[in-house]
This record gives sequence, C-alpha cells and structure tokens, in this order.
Amino acid sequence: MENIALKTTNITKYFHDPVTIPVLKNINLEVKKGEFVSIVGKSGCGKSTLLYVLSTMDRDYEGVLEINGVQATGQSLNSLAAIRNESIGFVFQFHYLLPDFSCLKNVMIPALKLGKFSPKEVEARAYEKLKMFGVEELALKKANKLSGGQQQRVAIARALINDPAIIMGDEPTGNLDSKNTGIVFDLFQKLSHEYGQTLITVTHDEDFAKRSDRIVEMADGEITNHGHR
Amino acid sequence: MKISVNTEIALTYLSSRKKQTVVAAMGVMFGISMFIFMQSLMKGTNDYFEKSSFSTTAHIRLYSENKVADAHMLNSYLKDNSTKILTNPKQLQQSLGLTNPYGIIQNIRKNPQVVAVTPQVTTNVIYASGSVNINGTVAGVNIDEEDKMFDVQGNMKEGDLHDLNRVNNGLLIGKGIADKLSLHVGDNITVRAGSGSPMIMRVIGIYATTIKQIDETKSYANIVQAQNLLGKDRSYVTDIKINLADYNNAPKVARDMETITGYKAEDWVQSNEQLKAAFKIRAIILNSVIGVILLVAGFGIYNILNMTIYEKIKEIAILKATGFPGNSVISIFLQQAVYIGLMGGVIGVIVGFLITFMVSKIYIGAGTLKYLPMSFYIPHYIEAVCFGILTTIAAGFFPARKASKVDPVTIIRG
Repeated sequence: MENIALKTTNITKYFHDPVTIPVLKNINLEVKKGEFVSIVGKSGCGKSTLLYVLSTMDRDYEGVLEINGVQATGQSLNSLAAIRNESIGFVFQFHYLLPDFSCLKNVMIPALKLGKFSPKEVEARAYEKLKMFGVEELALKKANKLSGGQQQRVAIARALINDPAIIMGDEPTGNLDSKNTGIVFDLFQKLSHEYGQTLITVTHDEDFAKRSDRIVEMADGEITNHGHR
Repeated sequence: MKISVNTEIALTYLSSRKKQTVVAAMGVMFGISMFIFMQSLMKGTNDYFEKSSFSTTAHIRLYSENKVADAHMLNSYLKDNSTKILTNPKQLQQSLGLTNPYGIIQNIRKNPQVVAVTPQVTTNVIYASGSVNINGTVAGVNIDEEDKMFDVQGNMKEGDLHDLNRVNNGLLIGKGIADKLSLHVGDNITVRAGSGSPMIMRVIGIYATTIKQIDETKSYANIVQAQNLLGKDRSYVTDIKINLADYNNAPKVARDMETITGYKAEDWVQSNEQLKAAFKIRAIILNSVIGVILLVAGFGIYNILNMTIYEKIKEIAILKATGFPGNSVISIFLQQAVYIGLMGGVIGVIVGFLITFMVSKIYIGAGTLKYLPMSFYIPHYIEAVCFGILTTIAAGFFPARKASKVDPVTIIRG
C-alpha cells in the first residue's frame, strides 16, 4: 500500500494523572496520500490527543504509528524531530509564533533548520507562503505586534514552508473569521487535491468538516465512524 | 557570512532582552577583570620578592662546610671488620677555601642548565673609619659576572661599579655602612679581615638593596683584593655561585652538585624557605578569591538563562514541534551563554588591564617599594578569558539541557 500517508495500529494511550484512565482505545486509522481528513467529536473525546500522537510529538502510547510507510514508533527523539521538520507541518490551536522574531523569520525558521534551500531561496518561498494568506505586507513586523487572526495565518504559512507530506491542524481556523476560514479551507483543499499533500485537522467547525474529503468521528477515545465514502 | 539558524535564534534572544544580557555580561566582566587584577598583583608581588631575593642570593651556592668527625680514618688505619663508634664526635674545621675551584667551575659549566657561574671570596671583616668600627662581610667578586647574576647595577646609588676593576683597593659599600661611617665616594676606609692585616681601601660606589641587613654589612671588592686582604693566593675561593636557566630546578641540581663535588650546595629554596611559603599562601588566597568571583558570575548566568527558559518555554516547545532536536535547543541556549561569556570576557580584559594599570600607579612608598608591583603578563589575560568562557559554558549547560528536555506536548496542550 504505497499510497498510505499515515497508519496507526492499535494505538492506546492512558492519562495517569490523577488516576490512570484510557484516553485512546485501540485506534486503527489509515489516511491515504492526498486525503483531506477532518477528525470531529466532543470536547474530551481524545481527538487532540490522537493528533499529538500522530504528530510524533507524543511518544507515550502503545501501538504502532507509521508515517509514509516508515515506523515512527520507537524512533529516537532526534530522528522524530527530523521527521517532523521535513514531513509534518503543524498548526496549533493557538497561534504560537515566536514573538521576538519577524513574521518572515517565523515562517523561515523550519526551512532554515531543514537546510534544503539557501537562505535567499527560503526567504523567497516564505514571502510566497505569506502572500497566499494575504499577510505578506506584515512580513517584517514582529510577531507579537499582530492580531490573533493574522498570527494564525502566519502560523499556517509556517506549517507549509517545507512542503510537508502531511499537514496537521488542531483547530487551524479557530481564530479566523468566516472570510479567512474560507481562504484557508480553499487553500487546504488545493494542497490536497493539486499537490497531493495529506491534511489531518481536528475541528469543531462543522461546515469546515463537512467540506473536507472524509470525516472521522470520535467518542470516548474510540473512532466511531471512519467516514469512508 | 553564513550563520546557522541556531546562532540566529540565540542572537535574537540575546538582543531582544538587552538589559538581562548586559547584566549577565557585566557579571562575567567583573569576574574576569578581577581575575586579571588579582593575578597581576600576585605575580607582580611574587616577582618583586623573588627579584629582591635573587638580587642577593644565587640559585645555588657551593661552599665548604665543616663536617662532623667520623670513623673513616680509623677504619683505614685499623683495616679490620670491627664496628667503630666515636663517642661525642666534634665538628672538624675544614679549610674555607675550595680545592681546585676553577676545575670545579669548569665542571659545573658543562651542565646545560647552568647559565652563570662565578667564584667568590667571602670573609668577615671589621670596617673602621675614624674611631668607629663595625662588623661586616666583604665579597670578593668578578663584578661583571656578579652584575650579570644579581643586577648590582640596578642597586647602585652613587659611583660606577666598574671602578672595582680599575681602581686599586676599590670597595663598593652598602648604603647602611656609608651612613654609619659617614662615607662618600672617594673616601678611604680601613678594612681588617680576621687573620690578615688592616688594609686601607677606597669607596668607589654605594649601593642599596631592599634588605637593610645587607646594606649595613656587605661590601664588594675585586676578588684579587679580597684574596690579598686575607693573605691568600689566587686560587683561594670560598664560594661558587651558580644561576640556572630555571630556578625551580635548583634543589635537584644542587643535590647533584653536592654528590659530584663533595661540597655543600645550598639552593635558594633552602635559604629562602619563608619566601616559598609566602608564595604558596598568596596563591591559595588568590585562587579562592578568584574561584568565588567566577562562581558568582557563573550563578548570574545560570539564573538569567534559567529565567529565560521559563519565559521561553512555549517557544522552546514550538521549536521542538517544528523539528528542532534536543541538541539544537542545547546549542541555542549554550550559544547564548557563550556570547555572554565572550562579551563579558572582551570587556573584562580591557577593564582588567585598566584596573591593573591604574593600581600600578598607586604610590606605596614602603621602604624601597615605591609603587604596587603589578605585572602585565599576557598569559593571565588568555587564562582569564578561558576561565570566563569555561564558567559560562558550565553555567549555561544545565539550563540548556533542561530546555532540551522540554516536552512540547505538555507545554502546547497546557
């Protein structure tokens, strides 16, 4: 199955504080390359927790995670960091930019880390990404001078800078008005359909979820509907 | 110039908190400048005392010492295997002169560590001028060699020391003698050695060392004059003075010479034990003070970086989420420490030099010591920078390692 972007086998995770309770129970999920998947469910059903497991940041789980056919489970912290840097773009629930840096630098940093392009090329690419979200004129402003919505768009631009195979979003449009939500959604759709990038978003926004390719529903730490059409 | 992204982030963090950075750098600067100042003062003081000690003491002095009587003669007379015991053995008077001194000198010169050797005739004398007599010693020397070893020239107050070679019966006296007998250059002085007849000599110069006791007793004469004074021949030599390339080797070389020549070889450590002890005590005081200063500076950096990490914990999580591995995070924070250290180091070297320079101009006026002895010794500055940077790295490492262990999930999810 070469066109599988991400696959989980029996992922189970517990929270230990204050008492041990299972938050994820035997999650078996497959996401194809170029698919645009929304994960929905009530607050506390474990959808964000699942996303952090999928992002490789959370290593405290049982089961197996494969990304692009490579087993991520059990890999060293450094190689997971390298996987995240190159193949995963993450958009957080809150914007989370580095406030001391300009927007442009914020977008550039993951690419400078990757080192695939020269700093000049990275800068040009960063401008391009900012332009897609209509924030290019803010490029040289410090990140902490921006409004929430502007920061969120810069953060999405940052997630895209390395053309990651998988883009993950935890409420990526949570801070955006309907117009900008529309822009972001159209762009996500374009990324998945035209460029073959895989998108996995956790969202409360029903409209946003409905328009994606596939809705995975979760309840009480289990997938209740895989949403295959 | 291509700088890595880690460096760029480190520099941005430093420049976005200028005040904290400057305060931390000041701490290092203070530590390093104090380090330089204290080291300069200690080396200056040690050099001063060493110099004043070596201005009168050779690294090694070879002389004939009286020996305790032993059974050697008895053995060679009786030639049997019995054990002889001398009850109440006495010191045997040895000839004060060395046997074949110029042969010994030639032998000593063969040692590659030896840089200067000079024979000397030392004798106790009574100086007389008018009705006043005072005790003292005359050192009969080759004044050129003596000057090379002990910098006699540097102690000259009046007259020309080379007159010892030119003026018949010339005598170079200490300032104390000159004062007690109210003598000036060109005056006559009567000198009587224990076994010889009195001799009238002419004061050709007056010197002053830092040691009063020497200035009040010792005078220099040409070695031939000293031999004449004692009524001895030209091969009469009481001491051989030896200087080495490295005076720290003196004790070992002295022991070797004792074995070779059979005479007593006294090294400068034996004759200046209190000096050696003072060096050691000063070094301990100094090193503990410097240690405390650097420790305090190190804690300053540690604190500031620790605070930064608490402040930036979300950003560290972001960096890790976007693919910065732990060692990149260590590099980012350790670099901040190193730049603080470098900044403090450079300023500290300049400030340290200025303090040292200013203090070296403070008038003390104790005895012959006019100004505080300070040394300007380049290795101190290099050491200071190295220690400063080592301290900052040590102080930065623990916060940096803590930063690298930040778990992005707990921070981002809150």
